[in-house]
Amino acid sequence: MKLSCLQENLSKGLSIAGRAVATRTTLPITNNILLATEKSRLKLAATNLEIAISCWMGAKVTEQGAITIPARLLTDFVNSLPNDKIEMTLSPKTKTLELKCARFEGRINGVDADEFPPIPSIGEGVMTKIDPEALRLAIAQVVFAAATEETRPVLTGVYSEFDGNTLTLAAADGFRLAVHKAPLAEPVAERTEVIIPARALTELQRLITDQEEPVELTINPNRSQVLFRLKDVELVSQLIQGTFPNYNQLIPQSYTTRAEVSLAEFTKAARTAAIFAREGSAIVRLQITPGEELTPGKIVLSARTEEIGDNIGEIDATVEGEETKIAFNSKFLSDVLGVLHEERVTLEMTSSSSPGVIRPVGVENYTHVVMPMFVQW
Amino acid sequence: MWQVMGHETLVALLDNSLKGGNLSHAYLLVGPPHVGKMTLALNLAQALNCQGDQKPCGTCTSCQRIAGLRHADIQVIGLDGRAEIGIDQIREMERSATLKPFEGGNRVFIIDGAEHLSTEAANCLLKTLEEPPPNVQLMLLAVNERLLLPTVRSRCQKLELRPLPTPVVERALIEHWEVAPEQAMVLARLSSGCLGWAVGALHDDRITGERAARLSALLHLTGVGRAERFDYAAQIASQFSKNRGAIREVLSLWIGWWRDLLLIKGGCGDFITNIDQEATLYNEAEYYHLTGIKGFIKSMQQAVEALGQNANPRLVLEVLMLNIPQREGG
Repeated sequence: MKLSCLQENLSKGLSIAGRAVATRTTLPITNNILLATEKSRLKLAATNLEIAISCWMGAKVTEQGAITIPARLLTDFVNSLPNDKIEMTLSPKTKTLELKCARFEGRINGVDADEFPPIPSIGEGVMTKIDPEALRLAIAQVVFAAATEETRPVLTGVYSEFDGNTLTLAAADGFRLAVHKAPLAEPVAERTEVIIPARALTELQRLITDQEEPVELTINPNRSQVLFRLKDVELVSQLIQGTFPNYNQLIPQSYTTRAEVSLAEFTKAARTAAIFAREGSAIVRLQITPGEELTPGKIVLSARTEEIGDNIGEIDATVEGEETKIAFNSKFLSDVLGVLHEERVTLEMTSSSSPGVIRPVGVENYTHVVMPMFVQW
Repeated sequence: MWQVMGHETLVALLDNSLKGGNLSHAYLLVGPPHVGKMTLALNLAQALNCQGDQKPCGTCTSCQRIAGLRHADIQVIGLDGRAEIGIDQIREMERSATLKPFEGGNRVFIIDGAEHLSTEAANCLLKTLEEPPPNVQLMLLAVNERLLLPTVRSRCQKLELRPLPTPVVERALIEHWEVAPEQAMVLARLSSGCLGWAVGALHDDRITGERAARLSALLHLTGVGRAERFDYAAQIASQFSKNRGAIREVLSLWIGWWRDLLLIKGGCGDFITNIDQEATLYNEAEYYHLTGIKGFIKSMQQAVEALGQNANPRLVLEVLMLNIPQREGG
């Protein structure tokens, strides 16, 4: 293998593929990054056996070849080099990769590329395309609700349903549920449902921040992997086996009280309450009062921690239905308000012991259900 | 072609289950160290992921990578120098068990030394063990199954690997490891039916060197006075805190030696273990009474037991030294 490329490009490529390098692993070679030439490009690939990221960069290849190199070492070294042309030469006998850049050079011992686990490639299966902006929003509004504890593995993933022109993403951790419907740029041939690990979607979200072309998405025929193809980058994720709970029954179908508030005011009041709710069980209490003839409706947010103190905040609201109260975990409330972008949101509820539903006003594609906390009023 | 030597019934059982598609979701392989538990487990992993026709073929890339422990879907969970297998290792395993196999075949998790699972780890494992996700095969390897939680034991199908007959080990050494027949015979006898030990000894001169040194120390001790015996006891007792296994090895070697003497005395010289020392053994046997040999074997067994119960190692060994039978007659 012999090639030259720019330090800037290599450093960027390593930071992209490096996201998939294993940290704790039973297979030591997954700490390495695969460098392989493909015609006039250099491919960098890494996998932690859950996700695999490959990226391609322009290079002047004079001799084809492939090798795996410890990722940390290579990244640290390349990042320390000046922004100049890097000459890479692999000596096939000793498996040593030599890098030369300006007045610096280094030699790193590698491991044969044949020992690297095969990076899955998906040629056929269920295929579709999606606008990167829509995908980014969908991931952002859902992924935080996925469980981080691994007691129920399916909940650490995001349920993804492809049906016609719609992609539905849903995540739940037992206390909250987020459902987002996003339009697909190309309809799928058959209705498909899979569970994608939340970690994979978080990485994908990071990768598509500067992507403009539609993201190509393929699920392989035996439903074990999903491929996201971006410009010069591919992310393959293993899918989680199991059945996702039927979340539709968790979304309340009716309400007795509905409050519409300004998102900015609600967020601010929730944040203030969170200061006092930081310790202990992090409870924020909401008292919802409908308006009368002369006074507008309001929501009073309060938080109290015995040793610290308490606060009360009040915001205007358009309230339909009865006066009621409910308590939420302050983190869950701030989390959902933080991912919304609309002007106004609604909070729907039936009683202080049944879940509250938060939806943005003006769009129909997002529903967030939060379980209330049981408190002494 | 299965690569396991001996254990024909187990191999046949697994082979039939594999062909009939009714493998148990979890197997507990029980047997003494080096008897072939890991070999059998890896072999089954190969069979489950083999790309050839004669599963496991041992020659396809998948089989070769499994043999080299480089396959993405085969995970061996072991002690790795720690005191026990912790809950974090099991959680990590359960996490990857929920993902579909990376290379498209079957995921195989091999828990090496399942008796070292911490109680929390074992309890954490129960759910996966009872109902593993599809395409997941669990293999628990244990020397002493009684140390496992009954809840773990009852969730696995138990396969017991018994020590191989000496001729099988001998033949395997000659045919597959190209060992000279004389050396093969000695190693086979010493291995007590554990082929893995014999192969390990083959590649590690230290094992044979240590054995020779220990045997000559033993022979020397039988002929000297108390002071020198006590020095030896103090010397090996001082290693006890660092290396518990070493004393046990010395004692098991001694027991083997005295057992050989007992066999010769009883006229069953054909079955002795230390076949390379046959002449010395016959010579030594002349000096002892049957009762003396039998008594000493018993006190060595008591010493092993006492050490297992955390008795003071020096005291235990000193008592043992006093019990070495008197040389008589000749």
